[in-house]
Amino acid sequence: MRLLHAELAKLARPLSFGVAAAAALFCLLLAAGGSHNAMLDAQGAPRHLPSCAAEQVPAGPQCSRWQAAARARLRQIRAEPAQVAGQLAPAAAGAEAAGLIASLPGALAMALLAGAHIGGEWSGRTMKSLLTQHGRRWQVLVAKLVSLWLAGIGLIAACWAALAVAGPVLAGINHLPGPDQTVAHGLSLSGAQVARALLVLAAFAVIGLLAAVITRGAIGTIAATAGAILAMLAVAALPGAGPWTPATWVASWMGFPAGLGSVTALPANFWSRFLGTGAPPGQAAGFAGLAGLVVAGLAVAERIFRRADISG
Amino acid sequence: MANVIRCEGLTKRYRGVTALDGLHLDVGPGQVFGFLGPNGAGKTTTLRILLGLVTPTAGRAWVNGRPAGDPDGLAQVGAMIEEPAFYPWLTGRRNLEVLALSGPPLPGPPGQVGRVLAAAGLGAVADRKVKGYSQGMRQRLGLAAALLREPALLLLDEPANGMDPAGIAEFRTLLRSLAGRGITVFLSSHLLAEVEQICDQVAVLRSGRLVEQGPVDGLVTARARVRVVLDPADKRAALALLAPWAARPDGPDAVLVDQADGQAVARALGQGGVWPHQVILHRPALEEAFLTMTEDTAAVHDATAAR
Repeated sequence: MRLLHAELAKLARPLSFGVAAAAALFCLLLAAGGSHNAMLDAQGAPRHLPSCAAEQVPAGPQCSRWQAAARARLRQIRAEPAQVAGQLAPAAAGAEAAGLIASLPGALAMALLAGAHIGGEWSGRTMKSLLTQHGRRWQVLVAKLVSLWLAGIGLIAACWAALAVAGPVLAGINHLPGPDQTVAHGLSLSGAQVARALLVLAAFAVIGLLAAVITRGAIGTIAATAGAILAMLAVAALPGAGPWTPATWVASWMGFPAGLGSVTALPANFWSRFLGTGAPPGQAAGFAGLAGLVVAGLAVAERIFRRADISG
Repeated sequence: MANVIRCEGLTKRYRGVTALDGLHLDVGPGQVFGFLGPNGAGKTTTLRILLGLVTPTAGRAWVNGRPAGDPDGLAQVGAMIEEPAFYPWLTGRRNLEVLALSGPPLPGPPGQVGRVLAAAGLGAVADRKVKGYSQGMRQRLGLAAALLREPALLLLDEPANGMDPAGIAEFRTLLRSLAGRGITVFLSSHLLAEVEQICDQVAVLRSGRLVEQGPVDGLVTARARVRVVLDPADKRAALALLAPWAARPDGPDAVLVDQADGQAVARALGQGGVWPHQVILHRPALEEAFLTMTEDTAAVHDATAAR
């Protein structure tokens, strides 16, 4: 615990506060754009469905299919203001924050923090001082991992706080309806999604840790972590590979809507839009995959770090 | 009394380059031990191995009776390796507090951080961020960090770098007082005049191998030279009489004799009937002795084999 305390004290630095502020600002801008989009979509939605003839759709089964799809889309557009208002309700905004931080924006923020907090020990030549105070390298590694993970949770907290404060204001400005859920229900949604995000953040933190012990530098860690995350997404888009990649484990475990289904007025994540629309592996498989990634990544990082010469 | 540092056949190779080549070294307690050698001789590698930062390719080392790098042994070691590095966004005091939290609890009553900052002469600037410190102030903070756990052994690598003359004088006094309190100071330095003043013993490394180890006085005296000024007509006879000491001509009217004392030289010449004008004993400074030891390839030998 002393070592974790020391690591957290080192995280109290301008860069960490800057990343948290950037995360909060990102969430804020997204909420502002999302609530405005929902209002514009609802205002621009037609009161009645146009006829098939007006849309030059041939009569018969084709017309029926088009009408069904158009009705569904209209329902979605009309429901958006209430949905966005629900996402921005202070109690429920935690689910939105967890989804955003447990996806690409959070992964990139974690890459930055991993570079500064872990890779920076090599670049700043402070690793030797740290290890001469504490010779048990595995404990140093675990303290680094846990502190980075806690910093990730801090990002969710910053985003949630920004949404909780700005959500009702934005809903008022854009004339969104009041949320149709109780505070308890909102908190329950947020709690579940934040709890799921904890495992995803642990996976991002392990990738950052592994990148740091391999590259032994701040810039290398940032580049390798971001590169690994983007490669995960790229591989998941390959036909057939989808269900077996860490990116789809994240989407399944977090319950992100598949593919472009995640693109709405206010996106709940920036992850599943990059994935294919193949069958997801399921939440249990997602959990198992991510848990395995965390354990295996930590074991490999420990093995590399235990044998590494600290010469910087 | 048990040795504080013991190295047996310590070897380190980096991708085919031998940084340390079978080093055998014993350092006893309560002394200031100078560890000398030209750049690339293997001094910092040795210090890193002793601290467990680098794994030797072969050989073993013990610190405070425990294998090098053992966490319990490290708890009694204070170290400052090369230029000390700190977290620039934290104050000097906070840096030491973080380092204190990074290891076992500090010994002694509360306030140890403040005491070592004061001992290092940083009391007035302890609450300034380290990014604003001068190099000399960083060196002092490094020394404070090394003293944080009241160690039995201090490993210092070029600790006086960037310090002003007053700082170096304070530092010299501090090291001597630490040795007086039974703390072993293992000092790697290029400031040979400083080493000569404060060290009890020195070891000299060259190309990863131990060249010499012993008391400073012994190393210097062993390299004393005698210059004999005489009549040019007697020079040939003098060279013959002084042949056991590998004497050599030094100008038209002088002979230079290595590793000899003036009395023995005078006696040998007198017994041979050669009467010199002057017999001058030249005792080199440590710097000169160091240069002789590290430049003379033939002098390189394995000290262990000799023991």
